[in-house]
Amino acid sequence: MAAVPESRKPDLRRQLEAIVGRGGVLSDPAELLVYESDGLTLFRALADFVVFPTSAEQVAEVVRLANREDLPFVARGAGTGLSGGCLPAEGGLVISLMRMNRVLEVDYENQIAVVEPGLVNLHLSWAVGPQGYYYAPDPSSQQACTIGGNIANNSGGPHTLKYGVTVNHVLGLEVVLPDGEIVWLGGRTRETPGYDLPGIFVGSEGTFGIATKIVVRILRKPQAVKTVLAVFDEVAHASAAVSEIIARGLVPAAVEMIDQLTIAAVEDAFGCGYPRDAAAALLVELDGLAAGMEAQAERIVAACRDSGAREVRTARDEAERQLLWKGRKSAFGAYGRVSPAYMVMDGVIPRTKLPYVLDRVNAIVAAHGLRVGNVFHAGDGNLHPNILYDPRRPGEEARVVAAGAEIMKLCAEVGGSISGEHGIGLEKADFMPFIFSAADLRFMQRLKDAFNPEGRCNPGKVFPTRKSCGEAGAVAYRPHPIEEKGLAQRF
Amino acid sequence: MGPANVLTGVELSPYAVEGRTPEAAVFPGSVDEVRAVIELAAAASVPVVAWGGGTAAAVGTPVSRGGLVLGLARLNRLVEHEPGDLTATVEAGMTMAALEAALRARGQWLSLDPPEPERATVGGVVAANASGSRRHLYGAARDLVIGLTAVTGEGAVVRGGGKVVKNVAGYDLPKLFVGSFGTLGVIVDVTVKLRPLPDCERLVAVRFERLKDAGVAARAVMGSDLIPTALDLADAEAARALGLAPGGPALLVGFDGVVEQVDWQCAELGRVVGLGGGGRVEILQPPMWGRLPLAARLAFDPPAAVMRLSVLPAQVSEVMEQGAEAARARGFASAWSAHAGVGVVTATIHGAGRIEPADVAVVLSEWRGVARGAGGHATIEWAPLAVKAEIPVWDDPGPAARIMQRIKAHLDPGNVLNPGRFVAGI
Repeated sequence: MAAVPESRKPDLRRQLEAIVGRGGVLSDPAELLVYESDGLTLFRALADFVVFPTSAEQVAEVVRLANREDLPFVARGAGTGLSGGCLPAEGGLVISLMRMNRVLEVDYENQIAVVEPGLVNLHLSWAVGPQGYYYAPDPSSQQACTIGGNIANNSGGPHTLKYGVTVNHVLGLEVVLPDGEIVWLGGRTRETPGYDLPGIFVGSEGTFGIATKIVVRILRKPQAVKTVLAVFDEVAHASAAVSEIIARGLVPAAVEMIDQLTIAAVEDAFGCGYPRDAAAALLVELDGLAAGMEAQAERIVAACRDSGAREVRTARDEAERQLLWKGRKSAFGAYGRVSPAYMVMDGVIPRTKLPYVLDRVNAIVAAHGLRVGNVFHAGDGNLHPNILYDPRRPGEEARVVAAGAEIMKLCAEVGGSISGEHGIGLEKADFMPFIFSAADLRFMQRLKDAFNPEGRCNPGKVFPTRKSCGEAGAVAYRPHPIEEKGLAQRF
Repeated sequence: MGPANVLTGVELSPYAVEGRTPEAAVFPGSVDEVRAVIELAAAASVPVVAWGGGTAAAVGTPVSRGGLVLGLARLNRLVEHEPGDLTATVEAGMTMAALEAALRARGQWLSLDPPEPERATVGGVVAANASGSRRHLYGAARDLVIGLTAVTGEGAVVRGGGKVVKNVAGYDLPKLFVGSFGTLGVIVDVTVKLRPLPDCERLVAVRFERLKDAGVAARAVMGSDLIPTALDLADAEAARALGLAPGGPALLVGFDGVVEQVDWQCAELGRVVGLGGGGRVEILQPPMWGRLPLAARLAFDPPAAVMRLSVLPAQVSEVMEQGAEAARARGFASAWSAHAGVGVVTATIHGAGRIEPADVAVVLSEWRGVARGAGGHATIEWAPLAVKAEIPVWDDPGPAARIMQRIKAHLDPGNVLNPGRFVAGI
């Protein structure tokens, strides 16, 4: 659904070109198609224009134009999001930040970097790597996703168990507010006067404005890394091991769980050395000082054995470590061998509820006549059930959506959350009442109004709406282009 | 809530701030009673001043009208602690020390170590964004609070975040409340992220003749493989106040983990900071942890003013030196301590004999200039009203002030909560 009548388009195009140049505007329907969805291809929405500014001033001018012409607008990074958050739900402008992709400054003494929003996450770690530093948040799409997109979604990743999510690494942002003003929120220091505006801007899913410069912390690379694989005959034992590791005083960098269906798919596809008959495997990673690493690894091995692991082994070298991680990271690609399509869910539960919830998830999906593979961040209770289905079979996609809603309800019932890292976007807007009261939502809406009073900045997201504008359920799943190229996985 | 929980008249003296006494102080025993009190106050246009342990009661611009102190002391229970989840939900009025004791008994801790844990309450620490030395590694309240419930100025009960350690559903309201000084809601409970107790923890001091050298050492630690939990600097005055052996400025470094990690780091520290074979890395006793965040304040009793500066970490020692020089040039003594790795500096000023508030304000204003020169800001953490009349308590948030004012206007439209206490007239 496009917001702009055809008759106005030539004039708008001229105005946009005057700001970003002739090569910076797309309006051909065939070109706009590329931007009709993000990594969650269940939702689609067409923009009237996609524009590619190269500076904060250009972003601000485009935003002011949108206000003048009463057009909705939404910022977009690499489009790897998984909740439809960057879709132009009501048409209008997609503002792509992909041409603002520089590392502007690295201050090693103060351990901060200033970057543009279109910078690919991993490229920051590449830029500071030679000096012994890295950027900690590591969403699994980090080879493609941008720091600006990470800001919108407050992205996590496997290593957030120890290092926290995006917001824990952001000190300040230059943003273009929804009215076109450019302001700094926070700065380069840990404390700035007034409310923690960077803290609430991160994770606001593009509804508070558009970040144009970002000050992030960079961390020293750890001296040593150790990775342990523990194999279990019962999922409940693997879950118990997660709690047992914590009970023994350790917070590993990552604790990931892979279930039987996923192990079999991974082994068929890549042969990473996971026993294919296992009910579940845990991948536990420690990082930090070399001193004491051995003692900690021994403690983890013992915790897993005492919880009933049938086999525990430590990667002997970097090659074996990479192979073990490949099993985890390529899980999503491997599902392609066992199913024509799948839908990745994202929910969080208290980790002590893992055995119960995993049982229930399997039962819910089975009741809908479908299969599910689980590969997820067990350490922080962030589930990713992947429901396998065949979009060519009539009605199957609708059953996937129904099962997904039940799983979200389950997460809410056990005291969890409906999103750990993918965001609410369009996908889960109507699930917000599962965990928030009307008063909570009203308060959040007022907060949004303080930033975005006219509502033109990324409308239709986060809050339960009359009706989501994406066309859910109507169109068959197809893999995202970057997924097909093997550049990113969905988790 | 019964007459015993309503104080008036002379009973109010503990709640007087800078000689200003509130109209009454009430101590609700439930969230419903908190709501009822706020609704009543809002209807009568009486400002509501949330009160935990009172440790930060004097921070900020004095509230413009007399007001109602809303004490959270009776909301002091540990609601939920599930060790396997590494989370706890706590009522706002529980003291940090009481929470710590309850968690320790079950092998866990909250890695937030603000000053005066016997008095400071969980809700107050969150509202004031109070922190201590271990924030170097473990972060401050914004990194540890995963959910909270607050009652708004209209009496609505609002919950943000949740009870799980990873959660991106909805706006991150806990971030908004951290450091908001009671201007957006009265916090009634808080859910925090915990850690297992480490096997071993050690605090050590390295002494230097010159602050400059201590600063160089702090930067060397930051750029090394060491992973300290705390990296504090104390100038000679603050080091003396901490009760360290006589000597110059001190670098105070904390480590935790398995014993091998702690041992190796203590040994490596000497090498990193350039001590020869005979260099002294002095091990301090655990109670010293509690004194660290107070180091500069302990130097003078009472100080003429306390300032908190947030600057670029690499410039901390220069800021301390320049600030001390500025005070000296105007005839004042000063003491300086810092969480050097995160660039958070506390300074106190002291003068002998009769002190003119205007003279103190001049020094504070110069300190603010020093902080700005180091890429940062400075807030007056404590000063007599006469000094606050001469210089703004809060530093200038710049153009972002407009957003902050709009947030306040949208979320507390009746301007009931701590009116006028915070930045930009909020």
